[in-house]
Amino acid sequence: MSINILVRFTPARPKAGEEVRIQVVVQHPMEPGTRRDASGNLIPANYINDVVVTMDGQPIAQVKPGPGTSANPLFAFKMKATKSGQVKVTCKDLNGQTGERTADLTLA
Amino acid sequence: MRKQEVKVVDRRTFVKASVGALAGTLLANRLNPALAQGALEGEDLANLEKGLRQVLGKGFRDLTVSPQVRLVAPTIAESGANVPVEIEANLPADQVKAIHCFSDKNANPLLFSVILNGILPYYATRVRVAETAPVRAVVETKDGRLLLASQSVRVTVGGCG
Repeated sequence: MSINILVRFTPARPKAGEEVRIQVVVQHPMEPGTRRDASGNLIPANYINDVVVTMDGQPIAQVKPGPGTSANPLFAFKMKATKSGQVKVTCKDLNGQTGERTADLTLA
Repeated sequence: MRKQEVKVVDRRTFVKASVGALAGTLLANRLNPALAQGALEGEDLANLEKGLRQVLGKGFRDLTVSPQVRLVAPTIAESGANVPVEIEANLPADQVKAIHCFSDKNANPLLFSVILNGILPYYATRVRVAETAPVRAVVETKDGRLLLASQSVRVTVGGCG
């Protein structure tokens, strides 16, 4: 099962030159490796440690979250909308699972 | 007679010394913003230093407190498991290389690192804070400066246990 990612732009259709906020939400428990289950055993760490955002194949941001990132993490970036393009978000967790999502940014 | 004289001198020197010391601390606080910031609730510089060395290879002394970095975080968080943090740098987009975020008392002080590539120096996320401690945003510029903004977050329920 791959990791589910949601991508949203605010505003959804920015004008050229306007600031657009790229909001990424990943559905993941982000186990920090310090929590214990009901019987007192440590739950092994399993968090996303690599998120890459590209725009038309060009990397624009890379996040290295540590165990100190919340469950179902949100990542938000801002960029100047200069042209339409395809934003692609890929992420990887400690268990080697990956997720990928593309979203099209279109100018108004 | 002699005894009395000694006493008088004692009191004068005492008053003088205490006024001097008080003025000294006030002045030091005003001159050194980093020192004034040192009064944040629940700070743990030793633990923070460990994280800074690991990630940046630099210590707390290499960071400069800068008004160009804006850190938005709640002063009181009901749950440490989900603290929204927003970091913005008032710098041109092509000058900022990366944004790092630390929390003093977390077992692993580094919360996240973001490497930015030509987009605006802005990042928002939600982090876990183990207990009441300052959250520190470090903005790394292309010319190697490390700009710091800190804010103490009071946590009622810890987020890492």
